[in-house]
Amino acid sequence: MGTVHARSMDPLPMHGRDMGVHPDDMIEVQEAEHETKQEVLENKDVVVQHVNIEGLGRTKEDLLGYEISEVFDAKNLIDVMKKSHIARQKLLRLGIFKEVEVVIDTSDGTVCAHKRADALPNGLDVTFEVTEMKRLTGSYNTMVGNNEGSMVLGVKLPNVFGRAEKLTFQFSYGTKETSYGLSFFKPQPGNFERNLTLNLYKVTGQFPWSSLKETDRGVSTELNFPLWRTNHTLKWEGVWRELGCLARSASFAVREESGHTLKSALSHTMSIDNRNSAIFPKKGALLRINQELAGYTGGDASFLKEDFELQVNRRLVWDSVLSASLWGGCLLPIGGRPSSIADRFYLGGPTSVRGFGMYSIGPQSEGDYLGGEAYWAGGLHLYTPLPFRPGRGGFGDLFRTHFFLNAGNLCNLNYGEGPRAHLQRLAECVRWSYGAGIVLRLGNIARLELNYCIPMGVQSGDRICDGVQFGAGIRFL
Amino acid sequence: MSLAAEAFVSQIAGCRGPERTISRIKQSAEPWPENATLYQPLREDQILLSDCASSLAVQAYLRMCNLPVHVSCRSNAEYMSPSGKVPFVHVGNQVVSELGPIVQFTKAKGHSLSDGLDDVQRAEMKAYMELVNNMLLTAELYIQWCDDTTATEISRPRYSSPYSWPLNQILAYQKQWEVRRKMNAIGWAGKSLEQVYEDVSQCCQALSQRLGTQPYFFNKQPTELDALVFGHLFTILTTRLTSDELGEKIKSYSNLLAFCRRIEQSYFEDSQAGSSSRGYSKGPSLF
Repeated sequence: MGTVHARSMDPLPMHGRDMGVHPDDMIEVQEAEHETKQEVLENKDVVVQHVNIEGLGRTKEDLLGYEISEVFDAKNLIDVMKKSHIARQKLLRLGIFKEVEVVIDTSDGTVCAHKRADALPNGLDVTFEVTEMKRLTGSYNTMVGNNEGSMVLGVKLPNVFGRAEKLTFQFSYGTKETSYGLSFFKPQPGNFERNLTLNLYKVTGQFPWSSLKETDRGVSTELNFPLWRTNHTLKWEGVWRELGCLARSASFAVREESGHTLKSALSHTMSIDNRNSAIFPKKGALLRINQELAGYTGGDASFLKEDFELQVNRRLVWDSVLSASLWGGCLLPIGGRPSSIADRFYLGGPTSVRGFGMYSIGPQSEGDYLGGEAYWAGGLHLYTPLPFRPGRGGFGDLFRTHFFLNAGNLCNLNYGEGPRAHLQRLAECVRWSYGAGIVLRLGNIARLELNYCIPMGVQSGDRICDGVQFGAGIRFL
Repeated sequence: MSLAAEAFVSQIAGCRGPERTISRIKQSAEPWPENATLYQPLREDQILLSDCASSLAVQAYLRMCNLPVHVSCRSNAEYMSPSGKVPFVHVGNQVVSELGPIVQFTKAKGHSLSDGLDDVQRAEMKAYMELVNNMLLTAELYIQWCDDTTATEISRPRYSSPYSWPLNQILAYQKQWEVRRKMNAIGWAGKSLEQVYEDVSQCCQALSQRLGTQPYFFNKQPTELDALVFGHLFTILTTRLTSDELGEKIKSYSNLLAFCRRIEQSYFEDSQAGSSSRGYSKGPSLF
């Protein structure tokens, strides 16, 4: 093994890099500076004496102590490198630094300016050189959508008070609607995964499948924390909802829902996600269970809502992946008031049961879909790389072909009957579809699909989209 | 026909599809259904004087035409209405709001009260209806929302009663600002309460003079003008506000009192007629 002169590491990429860093890779034959003494460190035991962070401006130091504390535990050089790498990742995920560079130096100061009195012969100093993000960043976009153009202004203040708090404001001014949102995020120092978010927003939405227009003005607080292997979220939300008819020709059932309601709800979500990727997972499973209770903290709306999402993936031969997913939910109105159209579940479309129009399954009145109080939906997919693998290793990896089988049902339950009758209702009149298509991954969040679908089990009133269907979104069945 | 027809078209929420025009023509030929419904705010706790008057006018008109209609009270009636004003009727699959468009709608179905009038009389009828709308209705809105005592003690609590806090405060103040802005726009903001009462008095005088000793405004048969005047006067007489002055102004014209009683007895005698004013809560119990 050659001589290792550890002066600095090139910034390592965030993902996909093998964690085993071999000293062989880092051999740098330094031009012999005539007076430099070179220490031969090899694999001998080292002691990390100092871990410094340089370049701090407004960030408070106590926040960072937790992220870098593990570096002190390293026992040999390779360990130091590994732990420094992990610490660097932790510092970057706080979202307050533009760059983090790691400098590992011997502590007897041969390269530093002066020799320290307490320097051990095998002591190391690790220094993280950070560049803080600017106090204020802004962004400006214009968007053009369905018959509407809008201008979106975003303002972000990372690290507002020095402990990784983040304040964001987004304002969207469109030809038809205006919406805005203000969000404050605060993590717990030392435990970034435990954090608190406060939101204030006004959002408008148009739902042509129900001829409904909804304006929500609300405030919410959300607490995230991990517990063992699961992630929990507790949230309180207070929303003033204004519903209206989108067109003069809306059905009377939708017209009856127009007006103002106030919803004050507590909700809890538990999720376990050990998939290796959110978009094209090759293995792992996701389970998310959500419940929402409205009405006990004020407001008009009063209900208990439960829904769950389950996805299981398994790799098969030849790079293909079999994926099965199941969604379900039910809404139980409390106190005798009927449920509101804004709270009910909807089914159908390129992101749920493919082959049907967007949210166009289930109870409807004069062509306006009213949603239902209980639903289930399942999908079975086989993802394979593109045939003949064009563009392999690059662009072609963003695409997959998939073959799918989707099924689901949406209906209103008569809560007076027992669970047996409920299951029976959900099991009769099942809509299902099958087909094949191409999926494109967009970044790490979204995907586009182009499918050929054949819907079956169509009930009267459902709107189908057989043949080619295009879909874009974040969450797919 | 133009202005009224435009208002009529904009009030109507018709049936779906590209065959809208054709089916609207077909709709107008259909007979009046049994399940026609009139929607208004909640009678006991929510409805205000002006809405009550408008609703009573429409009910009186439909009774005069002999068209049956159920009255359904909904807390969100104002938002259900296609024009934002109550009352509105749901007939077949059409929704029509306010008296003017409803009159046009029933005329298209072949029921009309003003067929026997000649052009001069019809113009006169329209003029008096405009007078009632511009004077009486505006005065009612002024007293409800621009007079601080009434607004605080009666209008805001009633208007916001179906909602929970803080939505009730937001909606009540929003409505108040909207009405005050409208009063500003038409120049009533500068008027004092006394002047408003004076205007009401003058309006009643004009109506009283036109009515004279006849049973109805246009001699023997009631028209939509009679329904409108009845709706407003009867509601004012039977609703207790913070002060009785408005009612007193009307009571000073005896022929108007007799007119109201006559219509109540002729057309509303099947319900318990009561001109006993039972506080603000209900107004007359005939609806």
